[in-house]
Amino acid sequence: MKQTLHYLLTGLLLLCCLVSQAVAAGLEDKVIEHSYPNGLKLLMVERHTSPTVSAWIRFKVGSVNERSDERGIAHLLEHMLFKGTKTLGTRNYAAEAPLLQKIEQVAQRMLAEEAKGDKADKSKLEQQRSELAGLEKKAEKYVIKDEFFDLYARNGGVGYNAFTARDGTTYLISLPSNKLELWAAIESDRMKNAVLREFYTERSVVMEERRRSYDAEPSAKLWETFVAAAYQAHPYGQPTIGWTSDIKQLSRTKAESFLHRYYAPNNAVIAVVGDINPAQVIRLVERYFGSIKPGSPVPVVATQEEPQQGERRVEVLGDAEPELLLGFHKPGIGAPDDIVFDVISAILGQGRTSRLYRALVLQKQLATQVSVFDAPGSLYPNLLVLYAAPRAPHSAAEVEQALLEELERLKREPVSTRELEQVLNQLEYEEARRMGTNGGLARNLTEYEATAGTWRYMTTYRAKVARVTPADIQRVARQYLTRENRLVGVLTTDKTGGKQL
Amino acid sequence: MTFRIRFFLISLLALLCCTSLQAAELANPRSMAFPPLTFAVPKAERAVLQNGTPVYLLQDHELPLVTVTALLHTGSVYDPPGKSGLAALTGSQLRGGGTGALTPAQLDGELEFMASSIESSFGTDLGSVTMTSLAKNLPRSLQLFSDILFKPRFDEHRLNVARQQVLDAIRRQNDDPKELADRELRKAIYAGHPLGLEPTADSIKAITRTDLQAFQTQFIRPDTMILAVSGDFERSAMLAQLNQLIGSIVPAKPLALPVVPQVTPSFSPAVLYAPKQINQTVIRLGHLGITKDDPDLYAVRVLDFILGGSFTSRLMMEIRTNQGLAYNVGSSFDVGRHFIGSFTAETETRAEKTGKTIGLMETIIAGMQQHPVSPDELKLAKESIINSFLFGFTTPASIVLQQARLEFYSYPADYLDRYRDRIAAVTREDLLRAARKHLHPEAFKLVVVGDQQHFDKPLQQFGKVTTLSLP
Repeated sequence: MKQTLHYLLTGLLLLCCLVSQAVAAGLEDKVIEHSYPNGLKLLMVERHTSPTVSAWIRFKVGSVNERSDERGIAHLLEHMLFKGTKTLGTRNYAAEAPLLQKIEQVAQRMLAEEAKGDKADKSKLEQQRSELAGLEKKAEKYVIKDEFFDLYARNGGVGYNAFTARDGTTYLISLPSNKLELWAAIESDRMKNAVLREFYTERSVVMEERRRSYDAEPSAKLWETFVAAAYQAHPYGQPTIGWTSDIKQLSRTKAESFLHRYYAPNNAVIAVVGDINPAQVIRLVERYFGSIKPGSPVPVVATQEEPQQGERRVEVLGDAEPELLLGFHKPGIGAPDDIVFDVISAILGQGRTSRLYRALVLQKQLATQVSVFDAPGSLYPNLLVLYAAPRAPHSAAEVEQALLEELERLKREPVSTRELEQVLNQLEYEEARRMGTNGGLARNLTEYEATAGTWRYMTTYRAKVARVTPADIQRVARQYLTRENRLVGVLTTDKTGGKQL
Repeated sequence: MTFRIRFFLISLLALLCCTSLQAAELANPRSMAFPPLTFAVPKAERAVLQNGTPVYLLQDHELPLVTVTALLHTGSVYDPPGKSGLAALTGSQLRGGGTGALTPAQLDGELEFMASSIESSFGTDLGSVTMTSLAKNLPRSLQLFSDILFKPRFDEHRLNVARQQVLDAIRRQNDDPKELADRELRKAIYAGHPLGLEPTADSIKAITRTDLQAFQTQFIRPDTMILAVSGDFERSAMLAQLNQLIGSIVPAKPLALPVVPQVTPSFSPAVLYAPKQINQTVIRLGHLGITKDDPDLYAVRVLDFILGGSFTSRLMMEIRTNQGLAYNVGSSFDVGRHFIGSFTAETETRAEKTGKTIGLMETIIAGMQQHPVSPDELKLAKESIINSFLFGFTTPASIVLQQARLEFYSYPADYLDRYRDRIAAVTREDLLRAARKHLHPEAFKLVVVGDQQHFDKPLQQFGKVTTLSLP
């Protein structure tokens, strides 16, 4: 959690390899599936390249599932789930519990007072804050700080982390393969008995994370603004980390309510990949997770974005050089047109031979960087995004024009068979490459099982791509890459430094 | 040599026990016992081409992929005066600028169509060129790999595009306050040494195609190179092709790598302030560190874990976990190979807590010099480093590259085999001595990027402040 990821701007570079989302037929024979009566799904791949194992747990709940008064809770809860259980992270839970209850009572009063804004009673607030700090200090004597980290670290665990996205929340670790039972013990305890201690201190950490990832980074601020502008109705528009004012009103009560609603075996997918004996892992998971009760299934978000009826433009002024984002609403994973968009992304943005790189970076030299990806999630209708960094003295407007010309070309001319063949060749390579690490494979298995409904999405993907025709691409380009469906985001330079000494 | 690791699987007995343990007590993570696992460092084969170029080889037929890397003695420390950025541009244009036989567009087209990738990048004292290919395209990919190394075209148009890109990156170099702070700290620590130089618009504009060609001729030669090969290949065919492509090259002139002086160890404090209107202050501090040949290397590794290199480190525990002042905080010794490395610490905190947080960092770092670490801290650090050691060897490519790098930097032959024993031998006294010798809290270069009108304390409290005039 040191670098608690949440899919923010990483998308700009990482997710541009959309088309890489496919896997060899070989995977079909290698994955072993097991479903438990409580709804838990386990996926395994046995690989004996090294005596190590990666274990990923994905909960099918993310920031898209938050109510308006809970914005930011999925991510903050992800942080809180590192704070221990009734037996870990504490010296004496029985003595600690009443204090935790008291802390929350004071916090609730404080939050109610803070909610009055300017009309809040300042002296009352001050007194409540210091009372809260005093109680937290008192509770601290029962806390064994970061005991999960401690236990995993001394047993040789690496990459212990978690990330929250719009569609899901994932907890991951890699361990020497003889230590897998430690993972089962800690993670099942976390699913059953999590205690959200040190809540209000951790909320400050998340505020710092927000400042670091968005407020103090103009490029990320543009991204956040752009995505928010894209969605007027659907919760995909809200940032996973939450708006500043949202984070300030989150409480442990809200986090616990979210936790108890969704963090249950029926909403979880586990992938264990590496030096394992699958039959043994099935029994291990049964022993530790088998008795956990199911929770509420995560409801489908019913709100749908209304069709956009005209171009939307947003601008962010920042102490940075210009950047440009273009976006178009498109369907999410599983829709037939989504695959066509993947092919479009590859042809436009993958590699030095891609259309945008050749036209904007090499020929016209209008931009130093271009990329194409989809965001901000994949379960619900999302956006095709084109990113470009204009090269001085060229303006964002010139780059925008050049990008639009390339999109018009997609509508006008059928793509060449060589371009399509190259997409398929790249997929063949990616199918092999992605099998090369335990963590990468565990990531893909949990991701597709959760978003596409089955990990087999990967094994059937290349065949679907092979069926995409030049005519499909023209049709999709004409249907979606239109002015009324378009978003434009621009970062405009406004250089003003801090005050001088 | 096939890729094989010896280790013991959980015994059959344990397996049978598990099946009947349905109702049994679940194990306590604090005290649970594990089946034994012994791990011997996997070894790649070292072969030598007919002209003397070393090649590390490790076959693994799990996936139909091959990776080949060339490590080269080159980098930005060899940039001529006034031409900072030459090594980096040469690195990028080896691949970007085409080959004798292929224009850049043809090269891009052919590689991407067969889904092969060749990428080159030159750092400070090591350049690397890496090829990955589907096994079925290996012969052609390897031919292109060798052409890129030894017959680069350095196409003028592509060079111009690359030059413009670097100029634009220089324009953007202050956009991200964290990158700005990292760079200014490096410049301050290595002031007066080539490691402290950054490319400027002028130095980039001064670089010509002829410079790239001369740099390539000087540094890309079989006798500055070590090769690392892994994946799905056949040994004798691989060696035959490497001998034909690379082993046959004999440089016209004897090797004469320019001598770059060692960094002068000097320690003096400085406070550098870069104004930015942001609500979170970026804090970086540090000084020169050690080289890999320092006898305190292993103590420093353990010290690193305890001070700022883990989630339970002292810096993390106090500044993040206990006080909620930061999301990111940590410190590390970047151990130098040819040149003296550095010790740096970093965090970001809200403007109103700037002074408090700097003070805490300094106190926590200085604390390492005052008392021995606790036995628990030492135990945790050593167990973590020793038990996670095997993660350095999870892919054939990482194993073979690791061994090539050790030879490249002249590590002792037993470095990996003895690593865990040497970590295990570190004592609390060693750590205290190493902390006293290698940490210099009185001589931090402190870089602060932020908006000082919102700081809780004046920066002058930490020393004489120099305001940076940002390029």
